[in-house]
Amino acid sequence: MSAPASEFEARLRAIGAERYHHRHPFNLRMHAGQLSRDELRTWVANRYYYQTRIPVKDGLILAKSGDPAFRRGWIGRIQDHDGTAEREGGLALWLALARAVGLDAERVASLCDVLPGVRRACDAYVAFVESHDLLESVAASLTELFAGDIMGERIAAFEKHYPWVDADGLRYFRSRTVQAPSDARYGLAYVLEHAHTAADRDRCVAALERKCEILWNLLDAIEAAHAALAFARAAQPRLEDPEPLVVLPERAVKLAGSAREILRLCDGKRTAIAIAAELRDRHPQVEKIADDVHDFLDEMVKLGVLDCERP
Amino acid sequence: MSAPRPYNLVAELTYRCPLRCVYCSNPIGYRAVRDALGGPAWSRVFGEAAALGAVHVGLTGGEPALHPDLEQIVAGATRASLYSHLVTAGTTLGRDALAALARAGLRSVQLSIQDAEEAAADRIAGAECFDAKLAFAAAVRDLALPLTINVVLHRHNLARVAEIVELAHRLGAARLELANAQYQGWALRNRAALLPTRAQLDAAAREVARLRRESPGMEILFVLPDYHRDRPKPCMGGWGHQSLVVAPDGRVLPCHGAAELPGLEFWRVPERALAECWSDAPGMNAYRGEAWMRAPCRDCPERVRDFGGCRCQAFALTGDASATDPACALAPAHEIVLRAREAAGEPAASFAYRGSA
Repeated sequence: MSAPASEFEARLRAIGAERYHHRHPFNLRMHAGQLSRDELRTWVANRYYYQTRIPVKDGLILAKSGDPAFRRGWIGRIQDHDGTAEREGGLALWLALARAVGLDAERVASLCDVLPGVRRACDAYVAFVESHDLLESVAASLTELFAGDIMGERIAAFEKHYPWVDADGLRYFRSRTVQAPSDARYGLAYVLEHAHTAADRDRCVAALERKCEILWNLLDAIEAAHAALAFARAAQPRLEDPEPLVVLPERAVKLAGSAREILRLCDGKRTAIAIAAELRDRHPQVEKIADDVHDFLDEMVKLGVLDCERP
Repeated sequence: MSAPRPYNLVAELTYRCPLRCVYCSNPIGYRAVRDALGGPAWSRVFGEAAALGAVHVGLTGGEPALHPDLEQIVAGATRASLYSHLVTAGTTLGRDALAALARAGLRSVQLSIQDAEEAAADRIAGAECFDAKLAFAAAVRDLALPLTINVVLHRHNLARVAEIVELAHRLGAARLELANAQYQGWALRNRAALLPTRAQLDAAAREVARLRRESPGMEILFVLPDYHRDRPKPCMGGWGHQSLVVAPDGRVLPCHGAAELPGLEFWRVPERALAECWSDAPGMNAYRGEAWMRAPCRDCPERVRDFGGCRCQAFALTGDASATDPACALAPAHEIVLRAREAAGEPAASFAYRGSA
């Protein structure tokens, strides 16, 4: 005999309380009014990539169902994001937000400034839906259960702390305060009805946890891009050696020649975004150089070569 | 000279040690090895090692803090631009002495801890030392030196990895090495008392995976021991390949245990130049590269990863240092390791402490 549905629902809701990105330090700082204009712009430009993945993901979900009633109930999500005509729908509203924070909407739509870590997180969500069944895919969408609240807080925070953002830009958040709870009710009802066995329920829990992790990783990547980078206290860089390397306790990290130029810029003041921009200006002929710089810097932080001083 | 570049120098300052750990990796015959190098001699070794390409020196022993010239030795490493890393039991070095080492340029510290529980820890060390180690860790942290905690794992403490991680966290460690005992030297003598079962290891591995997620700020190393893995360990990254050991008597070795292998001739500093000892000593070249390998190593695709495993283990278990490491499932003598594995489920034997007959 499996546990009652109410207990299952409580398990799902507990995941949100514990792991949803409303608890991420970057989100906390956003809502406390502590983000710089640049940080807020980076968030808007990068989060747009996530928005573009949503209708793609929902298309995949539609294709998994053989039930016309389910599809009728789900297809509205795609229209919510894409609109029924140009300049309507959630994606267009997000671009309005981009303009309201002072970004070039066309550039945002081109996705050319999306951080590689953000791209990986969002692509991981689409890949998850591609490789899992309908039940798990719907369960992964249940972060919407927690989205209604966060949107309300966000609108208040923007009005209070970021008055320089044109109020018209906040229409996306307003639309989601209505859409997210209604979408979530539909998704939750589906999951509660179709997760028959304890194993099904465990799969749903795992899917929702994975989705929370993806959203968390997205904010991690944005936060890391704005952290000032410096050599870790434990690291002894030997950049001028014929074979450059960085020595750490009980290991050394060998560097390729090009790494030298990047690491010389890690002065404790510049952020990864600033360093990537500088390298792109210096070497405009190198394709995707900013992505490579970000990936390299992330790797150096993981290896303990660099310390990333988050604000 | 075509010897490879030794990135890492292991400086065994002395084999003396106040502890008597039952898995000590020092040679069984350590008492006969005298401390022949003083501060100036070590400084010269460091300069020569840097010229060979070394960038890192592990100051170890025994207990390196028992060397009377330790501060001068650290300063010598700093002058040679070597990253100096002190590997200590932490029971003999006071706060002021440690601060002096930091001023002399010491970069990082590795502290050994035997267990998270005082009585169990002191039983393994054969000495009362637990509290002194905690005080030492606090001193390291106060000086803001990067701290690695090393805990050798065996059947008596594997069930407490969670407590060990929690302790390392509390002590401010940046890294925690959960090092499964390597069954050589004293550990081989005590194998029947130390070797864990596969089930104990698997449970600990699961705990470690969970704890890594929960303590992302601290790096946790955990590698399954070769006795339970069917593949040999890549000992020292290859014989005479990237690490160079200088023993307390000045002997230049490819690893901590090689002096115990019969029939191998190693050379000493300062009688000869370090470069000569590293590249030309017959013992250094005995197992360098792949020419020495027999079947199945000779044609095995794994040889570029495990370098044929551990010569000292091959000798200790088969009497032949050229044999395939018995930890490997492909080794003719693998049966020896399988029998030891089976015996791991039996009641533990009593300990032979380091230094006992």
